[in-house]
Amino acid sequence: MRFILAVALSVPSLGFAAALEEPAFPAWKAGELSELESTGWVAGSVLLTNEPIPDEFGRPKTETFQIEQPKPEEVAQDLAVSPEIAEEFLPAYFAERPKSFLIDPQGLLSSSDYRDRLSFLNYHASDSSIDLFVYVIGGDQEIPSAVREEETIERFFSEGRPAAIVFYYLGAPQRSAVYLSPSITDAVSAAEQRRALESSVMQAFEKTRAPEQIEKFLVQMSIRIYWMERMLAGDSTAKNTLPTVAPRVATNRRPSVDPVKVQRLLELARELAIPAGVLFASVTIALAFSAWLRSRTRYFFPEFEVEARLGGAYAAGVGAVISFASAAVPPASQRDQVPDYLRRA
Amino acid sequence: MEKIARRFPQVFVAIYTGSLGEVANIRQFGFWLLNRSAFEDVPLQKPNEAGILLTIDPESKAAGMVFGYLLDPFLEEADTFECLSRAHAYWLEGRYADGILRVLAHLDGILCKRSRQARKDPEYFERKVLPPAQVGDLLRRIREGHRASPQDETTGVAP
Repeated sequence: MRFILAVALSVPSLGFAAALEEPAFPAWKAGELSELESTGWVAGSVLLTNEPIPDEFGRPKTETFQIEQPKPEEVAQDLAVSPEIAEEFLPAYFAERPKSFLIDPQGLLSSSDYRDRLSFLNYHASDSSIDLFVYVIGGDQEIPSAVREEETIERFFSEGRPAAIVFYYLGAPQRSAVYLSPSITDAVSAAEQRRALESSVMQAFEKTRAPEQIEKFLVQMSIRIYWMERMLAGDSTAKNTLPTVAPRVATNRRPSVDPVKVQRLLELARELAIPAGVLFASVTIALAFSAWLRSRTRYFFPEFEVEARLGGAYAAGVGAVISFASAAVPPASQRDQVPDYLRRA
Repeated sequence: MEKIARRFPQVFVAIYTGSLGEVANIRQFGFWLLNRSAFEDVPLQKPNEAGILLTIDPESKAAGMVFGYLLDPFLEEADTFECLSRAHAYWLEGRYADGILRVLAHLDGILCKRSRQARKDPEYFERKVLPPAQVGDLLRRIREGHRASPQDETTGVAP
């Protein structure tokens, strides 16, 4: 009994060991390889050989990369991630009410980007009752603690047109902050200001390049300012229809304005103004002349000999009669007019 | 009214408003008035046969329109009825002046149209006013035109 059990246990273990054993590679039989080589080409000769693959000749087995380790001063710089704005630029930022809508004394934007953004902000100001001022700050910079943003805004923007002031951190739009001038702070809720900022940041993050981010940010902020305007105008429907975090909807409602396109259209309009004016004037003159001619037209009737009837020297009494005694008897029911003498008694 | 007189130099329009009194039939009244009256502010070269008379009786709430022989070929009873119909809604509310303006505006349009038609095809309107005898004459003349003349017949018989 014990022997049978031992045999029963040993049989599966033998099969398992056989399964673990890898099958041997196929090998050429004697004379088979030389016979095939005589034909000129042996299929799979590269693989079915013990020699190394030709491409691998001379290749080093492993490559080691030499990575330069950070220097101690660089590590120290990384720790200071938020340097303050250099003192030399502070007066340009915060000494007085900005004279331009785009404040970038550090020159963080390239000249062409600066020009485009400023052009857009100027266009916004011409189209909106709320100006948009943008302070451009480096993405890793901090406003010095000595500068209190709210106080600065109250000091510079209490008078004049209502304004929205944005502290935009170039390359880090999520750090941006928006403030409203005191005259409109009460009318536009803090929640709405937050939503405007959020949707603008979302729009900015659709792009990866910092100049494109600020462009998208400003376009969206301009759109949100449009809704703020409507709130100021007391339009109750504005609050209801205001998109919360749906910038695409808002974009559809008011398409983004490309200043270059606007400029081109203005130039085109300027070019066409004179021909259009001439055309309009000539059409108007033609219509007026035609109307004048029509008013001067005289109509004549040929005169025929008409036999007098019913003893009338000038007229024979041919004509219609209508009664307006009651609204219940409309003209349509009086159309068939038969003289009394033709009716049956 | 002046506009119509200016645009249609042969025609004038007159309006009578008032109670007809004993004359019960407004059609008869219009007939009598246009034949018998003398319109002071109408030039002498415009006889009554070139007149269009609008009669409005506010008491009996009825209005009629008659016209002289000059316009007999060009206007029909249906035309005058259309003119009066335009004023019905106004006269129901007692707005007589507004109603009259509507009548005159529509009349102006009809007269323009008929004048143009008459210029293009005067024979059509002439046929409408030819007396029956003349119509017979016309037919006779047409038949005669188709019949060979006696001279032709003679030449045909005697080769």
